[in-house]
Parts: sequence; structure tokens; C-alpha cells
Amino acid sequence: MNSKSIVDEKLHAAVADSTTGLPLLVRSEMLPAVFPVDLLVPDARQQTPAVGQRVIRTDARQHGLGQTPYIDDMVIPGMLYARIKRAGVASARILGIDTREAEAMPGVMAVITGRDIPVNSFGPSLQDQPVLATERVFHAGDGVAAVAAVSEQIAAEALAKIRVEYERLPAVFDPLEALKDDAPKVHPPAGNIYARKVICRGSVEQGFADSKHVFEQQYRTQMVEHVPIEPHAAIALWDANGRVTVYSSLGRITLGRADLARTLRMPINRIRLVGTFVGGNFGGKNEITQEPVLALLARKTGRPVKGVYTRTEEFTASTTRHPFIMDYKTGVDSNGRILARKVRLVLDGGAYCSWSETTLGKAAILSTGPYKIEHVHVEAMAVYTNKTMTGAMRGFGAPQVCFAYESQMDEIASTLDIDPLEIRMRNAFVNGSISPTGQVLHSVVVRESLLNAARRMNWPEVDS
Amino acid sequence: MIDISLTVNGGRHELSVSPETTLLGLLRNQLGLTGAKLGCDVGDCGACTVIIDGRSVNACLMLAAQADGCSVLTIEGLATREQLHPIQQAFEVHASLQCGFCGPGIILSAKALLDGNPDPSRQDVREGLSGNLCRCTGYAKMIEAVLQAACVMRGETEDVDGKSKAGS
Amino acid sequence: MRAFDYLATVDLRQAVRLLDEHGTSARILAGGTDLLADLKSSSSSPGLIIDISRIKELKVIESTAHGLRIGAMVTHSEIMQSALIREHCPALADAARTIGAVQTRNLGTLGGNLVTAVPSMDSGATLLALDARVVLACGGGTREMPLTDFFMGPRKTVLRPGELLVEVVIPACNLGKPAHFLKTGLRKGQALALVNVAASLWLDAAGNIEEPRIALGAVAPSVIRAMAAERYLAGRSPQSGSMAEAGKIAAEECRPINDFRATAAYRRDLVAVLVKRALAQACERALKRQHERGAP
Repeated sequence: MNSKSIVDEKLHAAVADSTTGLPLLVRSEMLPAVFPVDLLVPDARQQTPAVGQRVIRTDARQHGLGQTPYIDDMVIPGMLYARIKRAGVASARILGIDTREAEAMPGVMAVITGRDIPVNSFGPSLQDQPVLATERVFHAGDGVAAVAAVSEQIAAEALAKIRVEYERLPAVFDPLEALKDDAPKVHPPAGNIYARKVICRGSVEQGFADSKHVFEQQYRTQMVEHVPIEPHAAIALWDANGRVTVYSSLGRITLGRADLARTLRMPINRIRLVGTFVGGNFGGKNEITQEPVLALLARKTGRPVKGVYTRTEEFTASTTRHPFIMDYKTGVDSNGRILARKVRLVLDGGAYCSWSETTLGKAAILSTGPYKIEHVHVEAMAVYTNKTMTGAMRGFGAPQVCFAYESQMDEIASTLDIDPLEIRMRNAFVNGSISPTGQVLHSVVVRESLLNAARRMNWPEVDS
Repeated sequence: MIDISLTVNGGRHELSVSPETTLLGLLRNQLGLTGAKLGCDVGDCGACTVIIDGRSVNACLMLAAQADGCSVLTIEGLATREQLHPIQQAFEVHASLQCGFCGPGIILSAKALLDGNPDPSRQDVREGLSGNLCRCTGYAKMIEAVLQAACVMRGETEDVDGKSKAGS
Repeated sequence: MRAFDYLATVDLRQAVRLLDEHGTSARILAGGTDLLADLKSSSSSPGLIIDISRIKELKVIESTAHGLRIGAMVTHSEIMQSALIREHCPALADAARTIGAVQTRNLGTLGGNLVTAVPSMDSGATLLALDARVVLACGGGTREMPLTDFFMGPRKTVLRPGELLVEVVIPACNLGKPAHFLKTGLRKGQALALVNVAASLWLDAAGNIEEPRIALGAVAPSVIRAMAAERYLAGRSPQSGSMAEAGKIAAEECRPINDFRATAAYRRDLVAVLVKRALAQACERALKRQHERGAP
């Protein structure tokens, strides 16, 4: 509490200063050095009431002054700039990559292709993603070569001089098409379904037979890009002892370090990965992207190398949220109580697995909603298509299934002429309810939350 | 190369730039003023907002040569750590910034707005910030902060919080 | 951006001469908000960039016997703030307000918006509804034409190599003509129009509609006039039924496309509704004007 009052005093002092008419505009050269931010440290053995307290974020002042150092604000003497050439075709065999013209350009210090990557595959659960595509292109955002140059301008111009010869191959873009036997295989010889989860409880057939009404609907959601305002960015540099340091906007640095160890085929203790300030993540910066490329370009040139994705690359070459195709079949009794629910989820996984398995699992577990249902059958699968890969994004599949089961809840309520709140109250989990995967639930406040929300929004709305 | 002279945050600069240098590139790479950020590079996100001769612009959509003879204000010229601008003060107290990447642009958009309209409505503030994207979606807290900063700048209150009096 | 040469000039004649010399290997920089975005995604160099944003005579807004002259380098913000424009054609200021966001309006120019000629431009509809004319200059002199004749299709105008758009003129007879602009985008700020509509009209002594103009954006290869709807409306009394009918006719005669922003069918529906509303607003302005002038 005492620390809070100190902050308040400072804040008010500063406002008082600024209202006395002192000039706010100062010459940039006169700016004082910025010191580490104040930290609020509670007294020992003193319980601080956390909830309801106003806390000033420790990074707030740096942010407001524009002094927070994100990767692209960092410059290391001698630093080079990297750009990655993107395939631009969704499915193709690479017949040849000619980098000679780019390499001959003044200012271009190094060019690499997938053949320069010691272990050219990575991924959090399946290692199905190449760092740079070598023999085959799996989606249009695949990198096929990378350049390090003395300026971003030259690096970008060098990309245009790299010639790649492709033999176009059949591609599949619709996950339902990809399920068919004769669909082009994204990663042959493997089939296009790369992850599947099934949850069974009770007997849905029995449940539907006992039901008064059965509802069947299909729901779809679209692909979503995280669009952090700060694009993916990293800097790699090597020390004299052959250790690499990578500064990165990556969220999961420990996983990233392991992926770097794998792709660079190096002991993990020779890799230092520094997580920096992140200008927005939302799940989109949860695994490595260009880091191995930058490390290899830095090793090849002996210079620090920075890479910052363009906005286009953010959309085509970073992960996105899975589009879902969701089939819901739900049986209810005459009071709208759900007796059985059968769910089929098809996740459009794009070209690589990324965090699909995690997303698939969460979506499957949550797909029947926060409702007591005796008979449940869920089948969920993630499917390859020749599109930008899908991965983690806020909620890992939970928002998609929520859209489906709540939409269907409204359809049921409307058909049976039951109030939308009432139908949820009749079905909602309570203390001791068992989830579809057999978990006994405690501290369940679904109904209380619903009632609270209803009160606040004056539900049911009464016509005046 | 093109010779230009411009004032940045009160300091005069005589510079030589290549024609394709954007104002953002000049500020960030030649002057080391990295407060303005490269977000989308096409004028959609507003992370590169700076104020030129009193008008807010996207520094990514302006060639450095176009700023010849102009006076540029970036976030670095707005305040010092010990003496914040009321907008920065209010942003801090209202926790308006999360990841912070959009912050410098949004604060400068707010400044340009309040300089031209000291008593904006909530809708005016929304419009004034509509050229700036925040993906952490802290818009509500930013709008509160700008309205409160406007009160402070009009001299109506010194309470940048806007709550402590009501709470006491 | 690929390397290019850059020249800024403050002299219109020099700008025209430079353009004449370099022809298709030169591009004009007005506000730069479209041009720079273009150059960044282009893989070829534009050659020479001629910056005309500082030519004073292209930044003039003035009322002459000929009409209201608006220089091509007037920015959207300046249009919003101009007392002359707000007095004589407030709908143009309303339209400017919907373009981009503050930052882009501070840089972007009226001339740039017209020359870029994207079908969803927000400057075009109101100007068409006020029978605006454009003045083009080249080494050989100037020519003037109605704005309707200026557009040829998406990003295509009648400008010849070496020719420059220098000003827009709203004819004196149309200053004060009751008009209204409406736009629908996917969000309020910073969004391209799904449809924009401008309508203008006079009411004659009997209170019937005279010289109606209806202009539509984003529903054809360029901004267009809804001529059939105009013909239907001329001479009718300003009843809500006839305005709704004009909206339906306009929806039929436009040629919208399906794209990721909206379907053609949705755009047609928008046209019908926005035309009806814009006409109603223009009528309201007309009645107010009559009232103020003490007409019967």
C-alpha cells in the first residue's frame, strides 16, 4: 500500500509540472537517459489485496515515451538485413534454384537455400515443416531462399534476381476435398488427415432414439491472421567461440531454443535465445520462423543479421487460426434438455501441423459446450491443405466450437420457443457435473455467471 | 542523393537522403528515432504516425524529401521521463497500452487531435484515433485516457485518473 | 521501393515541362498515399518521381465567375476545413471526411484521388453530382472536360502521357445546389466504400424535382451517374415513394462485382437504400434553402 501511494505522488507531481506551463517540447538531444522502471515491491509477509487494486504497468512509461526497444529498434554494428524469397505457388516440385545473379550483386553478402539447413524440419508436435523448402513447395508462403545484404533495399532487390524453376503439382485448398481418397496428397505418401481425436461417452444412438427433437446443422468459421502490429522479427549473431545469440520476438523461447538446436544441429548449450519485448503475439509467435535462416546467414557472413517480416509475409508465411467445419447433431427432450450430441470437426490445418494437435484436442474436449449431456460422440480431425499453416491463436480452437454450440443452442431455443437464457440454465454444468472426457468439475459457476450477465443486460428484454 | 533540411523535435538537421527513403526510414535509420514504428508499411496501421507542421501523417507514406523544410515532432520530442505530456500521463494511469507497439503513434494522433480540438466528444476521439490500429484492442482505455488528458490540458482538473475524487 | 529519381518543383510550367520530357517514365507524386503504397509493392522502378505537392497555384480554392476552382493539390483535410467549400458544396466536405483516416487525409489530395481512379474513390460521386469539370494541362496547353468523361475504367483516365490534372471546377450555377453524400464501408474509419452515393437536385417553383443528379461509387468500373434513375426523377414531386423507386432503378443500372468485401447483390441493395436516403437528405436541404430564402 505504501508503494502505491509513492506512485500516486509521483504521478500527480508530474501532472502539476506539466500544467505549470513548462515547455513540453524538448530537443531530442536533450532527452535524459532513461533509467530502469520503478518496481513495486510489497512488504514482506504482508498480504496485498490484489483484486481491485490499480496497478501501473512497469513497462507503461517506456511504452508511452516510445523508448521500449523492440527488435526492429535494435541496431548492432555491422548488421546485415535478411529477406526470404517466397514461393508464390501453392504446390510444386522445385527443379532448380539459381542464386548466382543475386550473389553477384554489390551489397549482397550471402544467399542460402534449404540445402544449407543442417536439419531442414521442425514443428512443435510433428516435424513436418521445412525451414526453407528444398524439393517441394507445400504452400505459397514457403521460403525457398534467403539473402543477407547491407541494406533492406538491396536484400529485396536481390530476391527478384533469384530464379526458381517449378514443376507445378496438383493442389488442394478445401479441407473436405482433402479428405477424399482421390485428393492430391499434401505430404505424400502420407494421407491428408494428420491428427484425429475421438471422444465417446454413453451411446449417442440411444440418446437420439430417446430424443423428442433432433437438430442438425453445419457451422463454419474462417481463417484469421493474428496481425500483430509488430511483424515477426529477429537478430542473430555469433561470438568468437562459435556460440550463437538470437534476439527474437518469439513467445516460447525454450521451445524455440530446442528447435534451433535441431535445425542447426548444435548442442543446445551453445545457443542463447533472448526473448525481447513483443509488439503483439496472440499465439502467432509461438514457434520459430526465420530464426535458423538468420543464424545461418550470420554464420556465413560473420556479421549480425536482422530479419523483419513484411506485412505480406505475416499473412502468407506465419501461422493463422484454423478454419473449422463443424457438424452438430443434437437430440433434446420436450423441455429442451440435451440428451445426446454428436459432433464432427474438420480443422483446415494448412500445409503444416504447427499447433494443430493442441488446437484439435482443446476443440474436441470443449466442443459439446458447458452442458450436461449423457451421450456424447465427438470426432475431430486436422487436415492438410496447400494453404498457409494454421497454429495457435487465442483460445486454441475454443472460440470456433463455442460459435457452433451456442448458435445451435439458439436454434433449439427458438424452435422450441424456450427463452435462450432458460434453455442454457436447464442444461448448464453444475458442481459435480462430468465433462465429456470424464473430469468431475468443481467450482462451477456457469449458471451464476449467466444470471449475473442476464441481470446486467436486463434480460429478458421487456418492450417499453 | 537529395539534400534536405528539416527540424526534428526542435533540432535542425541538414541531411542527404536517397530519393526512395521514406520519412520513417529517415527518422528510424538515420536519426535513430525509433519511437515511430513500421507496422504495415502502407498507411493502414498508424504505428508510424508523426506530426509535421501540426498535422499528423503516416511517416511510411511520405518520402523524406517531401519533409524538406518541415518541422517534425516524434514521440521522442513530446516529453521526458520526469515530465510527461498529460496524454502520456493518462495513458499510463488508464493502462491504455499493453504491448505498447502502437503507443507512440496513438499518442501523437491524440496530440494532433487535442491541439486542434481541446474539447472533443467521445466520437471525436474515436474518429481522431481511427487511423491507428491496436491489436491488443485497448481502444476503450485509450479513449478514456484521451478524454481525461483533454480535461487536464484545459486546466479543468489535475486529476489524470478521473476516478480518485469520485472514489474519495 | 526500387530506386528512382526525384524532383520537386514549385512551378506548374516546370512540372508540365518535366512531364512532357519524361513521358511514361515519370510519375507524379501528389499526396503520395497511393503512389508510395504502389511503389512498395512494385518490382520495377518508376523512373522519375515529380513531386508537385508544393505548387502553390495547385493548392488554391477560390470562387470565380466560372465557378468554384479547387486546385488538384488541395488535401482532403483542407477540403473539410475550407469555408468556401462548406458554404457552397458541403457534401464535398462530408465526402472528404470519409476518406481514409486523419493521417491519410492530411497527405492525400483531391487530384490524386481522381487520377488514381479506383472505382471506390470517395471524391468522385459528389463532384459528378455537381457536374464538376476538370482542367488538364500539358506542354501544348490546357483542355477542360466534364468529370464524367475523365474516367475510363478502374485506374484508367483519359490523361495522356505528359498531361497533368490541375484543377476541378464546380460550375457557378451549381454552387449551393442541395446535395448529399453517403458511404457504407465495412467499418467506419479507414475503410474503402462498399458503395458510395451522392445526390443533388433543385426544387422548382411548383416544388418538383429539377436537374436531379445521382452518382454512384464502387458499383461500376468507374464512378458513374445513374442516368435512368435521374430521368425517372426529373419533374416528379419529392415523395418518399419516388425516391425509393429512383433507388431501385439505380440499383438495376449499376454494375457491381462480387469481391471479398461484399457480393454484387448486397451492393445493389445498398445502392437502393443509399440513393433513397441521399435524395431525401438533398430534398431536405432544398426545402430548408427555399424556406430561408422566403420562397412559397
